[in-house]
Amino acid sequence: MSIGGSDLDRAITQLRACRPIPENQVRELCYKARELLIEEGNVVGVDAPVTICGDIHGQFHDLMELFRVGGDVPDTNYLFMGDFVDRGFYSLESFLLLLCLKVRYPDRITLIRGNHESRQITTVYGFYDECLRKYGSANVWRYCCEVFDYLALGALVSGAATALEPTDGPIADNVTVDLPDPEQDIEIETLNANGEVMFRYARNGDSQSSATSQGNSNAASSSPVGPTPSRSGAAGTGATSSVNGSARNDTGAILCVHGGLSPLIDSIDKIRLLDRKQEVPHEGAMCDLLWSDPDEIDGWGLSPRGAGFLFGADIVKCFNYKNDLSLIARAHQLVMEGFKEMFDSTIVTVWSAPNYCYRCGNVAAILELGEDGSNAGFVRRSNGDRAGGGRGWILGSNAGPNGTSNEENRRLSSVLGESMQRPRDGPGRRYRVFEAAPQDSRGMPAKKPVADYFL
Amino acid sequence: MALVQPPSNDRKRVKVYELKNNDWFDRGTGFCRGVFVNDEAKILVASEDDPSRQLLETKISKDDGYQKQQDTLIVWTEQNGTDMALSFQEPEGCGSIWDFVNDMQSRLQERAAQDDGLSDDIGDNVSPIMLPQPELHNLHEIENHMRAANSTPAGREALAKFVLSNNYVPKLIPLVEMAEDLESAPDLHRLCSIMKMLILLNDTAIIEYMVTDDVVLGVVGALEYDPDFPLHKANHRQYLSDESKFKEVVKIQDENIKRKIHYTYRLQYLKDVVLARILDDPTFSVLNSLIFFHQVDIVQHLQVNQPFLKELFGIFGPAEQNLQRKKDAVLFIQQCTSIAKSLQTQSRAQLYQNFINNGLLDVIQYALKHQDASVRVAGTDILVSLIDHDALMVRSYIFKAIQEKSKPLTDTLIELLLIEVDLGVKSQMADAIKILLDPHANSASIEALGRANGDFLAKIRGQLSPLAQTDTFIQNFYDESARKLFQPFKDLDGRESMDDLTIQQINLYIHLVEVLCFFIRQHSFRSKYFILSEGLAARVAQLMECPEKHLKLTALKYFRSCIGLHDETHNRQIIQHQLFEPILKILFDNISRDNLLNSACLELFEFIKRENIKILVQHLVETYREKLQTITYVDTFQNIILRYDQMHEPVTTQELEASFTSVDSDTPVRQQQQGMVNGGKWGVGLKEPDADEEAYFNGSDDEDELAGVKPVNGASPVRPLVNYPDDDEGEDDVDDLAAAAPSVLPQSIPANTEAQGSPDASKSPPERLSEKRRREDDEDDELLLSISSSGTKRRASVNSNSSAGSLKSLRRRSPNIAPVKDNGGGPKKMSLSIPLKSGGEGANGE
Repeated sequence: MSIGGSDLDRAITQLRACRPIPENQVRELCYKARELLIEEGNVVGVDAPVTICGDIHGQFHDLMELFRVGGDVPDTNYLFMGDFVDRGFYSLESFLLLLCLKVRYPDRITLIRGNHESRQITTVYGFYDECLRKYGSANVWRYCCEVFDYLALGALVSGAATALEPTDGPIADNVTVDLPDPEQDIEIETLNANGEVMFRYARNGDSQSSATSQGNSNAASSSPVGPTPSRSGAAGTGATSSVNGSARNDTGAILCVHGGLSPLIDSIDKIRLLDRKQEVPHEGAMCDLLWSDPDEIDGWGLSPRGAGFLFGADIVKCFNYKNDLSLIARAHQLVMEGFKEMFDSTIVTVWSAPNYCYRCGNVAAILELGEDGSNAGFVRRSNGDRAGGGRGWILGSNAGPNGTSNEENRRLSSVLGESMQRPRDGPGRRYRVFEAAPQDSRGMPAKKPVADYFL
Repeated sequence: MALVQPPSNDRKRVKVYELKNNDWFDRGTGFCRGVFVNDEAKILVASEDDPSRQLLETKISKDDGYQKQQDTLIVWTEQNGTDMALSFQEPEGCGSIWDFVNDMQSRLQERAAQDDGLSDDIGDNVSPIMLPQPELHNLHEIENHMRAANSTPAGREALAKFVLSNNYVPKLIPLVEMAEDLESAPDLHRLCSIMKMLILLNDTAIIEYMVTDDVVLGVVGALEYDPDFPLHKANHRQYLSDESKFKEVVKIQDENIKRKIHYTYRLQYLKDVVLARILDDPTFSVLNSLIFFHQVDIVQHLQVNQPFLKELFGIFGPAEQNLQRKKDAVLFIQQCTSIAKSLQTQSRAQLYQNFINNGLLDVIQYALKHQDASVRVAGTDILVSLIDHDALMVRSYIFKAIQEKSKPLTDTLIELLLIEVDLGVKSQMADAIKILLDPHANSASIEALGRANGDFLAKIRGQLSPLAQTDTFIQNFYDESARKLFQPFKDLDGRESMDDLTIQQINLYIHLVEVLCFFIRQHSFRSKYFILSEGLAARVAQLMECPEKHLKLTALKYFRSCIGLHDETHNRQIIQHQLFEPILKILFDNISRDNLLNSACLELFEFIKRENIKILVQHLVETYREKLQTITYVDTFQNIILRYDQMHEPVTTQELEASFTSVDSDTPVRQQQQGMVNGGKWGVGLKEPDADEEAYFNGSDDEDELAGVKPVNGASPVRPLVNYPDDDEGEDDVDDLAAAAPSVLPQSIPANTEAQGSPDASKSPPERLSEKRRREDDEDDELLLSISSSGTKRRASVNSNSSAGSLKSLRRRSPNIAPVKDNGGGPKKMSLSIPLKSGGEGANGE
């Protein structure tokens, strides 16, 4: 019973229809996935362009909506930052579909581990019960948990452009149009599910000309929907750039991780020294990466979740600087607007489960990073051999993982004694915001009942 | 009612809070008690300062939503709508008041159910509510009325009262079909909304009524038309009315119980399917507790029903020819045991005892050998539940079998594991073996049981104390069964190629290696000598030659676990058999490939470096120095070599001077250390059993560390050989400093290596510096002690970043980080996290 080629496509078709595949196929799929994932590093290298997604939580129909809004696999490259399962009623179908797509298009889709990809958590929050209900035994749950252990802990996106190609989509109806000068580099753009522009922000911090969405102008303070205090404050530090439309390849890499940083991890290379193939531990670096949250504090703080830490802007900025990152993308926390940039746009939370738990009323978002022109033609597999091309990673040095190690080394060591310089320019970020799948496109979300009963 | 025991009214100190303007207002501190007077249950709080003053007097009514939060907080809403909270000083006090409240509420509910429809004495402060006789044309009006009433607690209560006393639900039911006949979608949607609201009133009596035979189809029928999904119609009625879903393996005579079984199923269906999307937490827990109580009743009824049990277990006798019936009987028993998991220990013990008396163990044997994988799954599931419930009992039955010369369950399990083809069942069987041999398997509940049921248990256990029994059991396992279990490893001996393992074999080896990893952690010395005498380490190493990377990884993990134990025997075995050879091969095969195998290898060597496991460092560098030198993309290997060189650095003049002039303590230390280095090769550890056994009986994982203090293990008496904190520090410092300024490097050398002679001595007055360092270390050791005594099982985790180590590194890093000008995450903040981390244990929730 092998699941290759056409079988795989058949499984994808079946899963897209939200119908589970038979147990033996799940097993084959999981074995195939394991072979692939074992070749991935703890931090997977990913090239822009890529679309970054946050928590899914078994909301299958909303995952379909995500693909509709963001483009289908393999036309769009995706990076999912964990928490595929639990809470929603279709954890199984959602995770298996993503896994099928991973096996079918390994270079087009990257999956990293979330805190819910764990035996302990899934037995409490629904995935275990769902497998039991749908297959009558815990076998499928076991196979999936085995795959969880192989999932990468993070991803490093390189080659992202600092400026967006402006979308030629129409302007959303409820937006007062005051788009920035077309000459300027676009740093942020927010689109709705129909591809209409809701918001656009130029990199040049002085001209804060921007489209203001009426509906959202007073939405969450740190979300760049409308010129909010945090954005204005960023002018001159974060968003102001010395380069303006010239050197587009100046952006640092983007670290993607489910939760956040760890006090035990001061460089990305330290993540690579973890033996990740294990159940998510209750403490330690691996736990922190999957559990921590950014917060408006100084330094590190106790997490109310009971695992991981809270970390403040100083931690993020220091980490980004040391590792030559322009941005950390993470998921893990519900944000009503779908995404939330914090700390002068050095970190962003992306949340991709609209109307979370079928009742939270939030919208979801995905983050598109464009391709940096200078990187064109450089094709790298998302897993496997990274030697050559200057892409090997060097521990103990602060070499940037984006291939500019020598120059970066010099620069870093020369400034090491000085105060921290301006952070790297963030990549151009296009957020696509979407709501829960229209109800007509799906049945009522419901759990499947247990078939037979004795008691 | 007279039977109700009010909670023992010893003084429960409590603070009373009232929610005013979204702030909790402190009404004072006093002592809380629950009383039952004049048919009314009350909670009273008398002021601490003035016992004659009542801070709180509240009547417990059956419908109020009392909530217990954390361990010491009870929150509820008064009839007048005020939110109140009691914050207890002690969790016990809170628990007993909470039990009282629950007890009273369930009694009040029972009573309410009895005199339903008779009493309409709605509380004085609740204005009664009237809904019109339901017709299709006034549904709109009804819905609005209900919505209005629904918004206040009092209104909800009145509404619930009205609905029950006026038999309102059955009046709604016929409207569903009428509206369907008329194809009137708006009416159907309204009926659905009304039904939802009625359920979410969260009234136990209403919900229980809704699943009765008379109305259940009507209720779910209405719920098929969810206005949130106007274009969809669910098929609940069809699903629930299909009788074939109920399987009655043995006829249940008691109609009442049979009804309860159906109700339970419908409640589950409501919870999981019909209402899954809209359930709020209170309704969810009401449904859950209804289900739970029904299940308790059902299981209690069945397990004391001897004729029933006879027939049930008789199915497995020779008379029964129907194989499907046998299969169903196994699944039935599985369902019983899984429900039993939520029962109280006492009743669960009774259930299992009754089952066992009727032949449960034979059923397990039957199921495990069944040709249908789903039955084998059920069989292992029952077995695991049973072991979870009382491992000692299962073991005593195995003893009995051994004495009677019949095949013990362990052997059955082992044989089946070896031949099992269903990979899911296989992993479950491997789990069962692990639990069976886990010396720590739920001893707590066993003790509780032993107290309650002492005579009986003493009898079946043959007077062995639990500890001795477990011990004998494990010994017996190593004497008799372990060889069978691990025979496949022996079969590898002399095998020329590892390229042609089948999927089944690979899977089996993965399970066996994992079981072995479990054993080396759990049964330290027995497993150790077993592995030694059987030469298993070399066989596991052989697995690393196979092409399948996940098997390589699993085998690698075995060695990581061994090394993580800081055990001389394991380490020497690795050295003796040159087992780093295959590990290094994996490393070189994956060198500069950023993959899981690479990371796992690096983590292993990082661990050796960080823990400075001297015997391994020495072996590695002496055997593979040139190879290791070529690996430069991480500094791990350079550091291992550095450690070795420091260990063997010739004693410099200055160093000599230092030791002669300094306090004498240094000299013996060095001699000891060198004695150790030379003695590293001594013997094959024949004397070791004593030390190990001692460590074994001392039991705790953390004690490996203490064992290191004994000279017999080759460490200096001054410092333990195994020294996390310093080494941790060393690692961080080396990383940080190497990147910045090499000249600072010597400072990073841990204090214990320094004691043997470090270049550090050249930089400042040596004796003072080393004294100072030793002092620091001592302080830190205390810190470490206090942390490890807090009871985290550090060794139990394969993860090398143990909490104590990490705390230590955070703390120790601070003085060293300063010269590097590490911005942002500054030292102070790092150290801030120390108390935080130790408090933040145990992951809960999302």
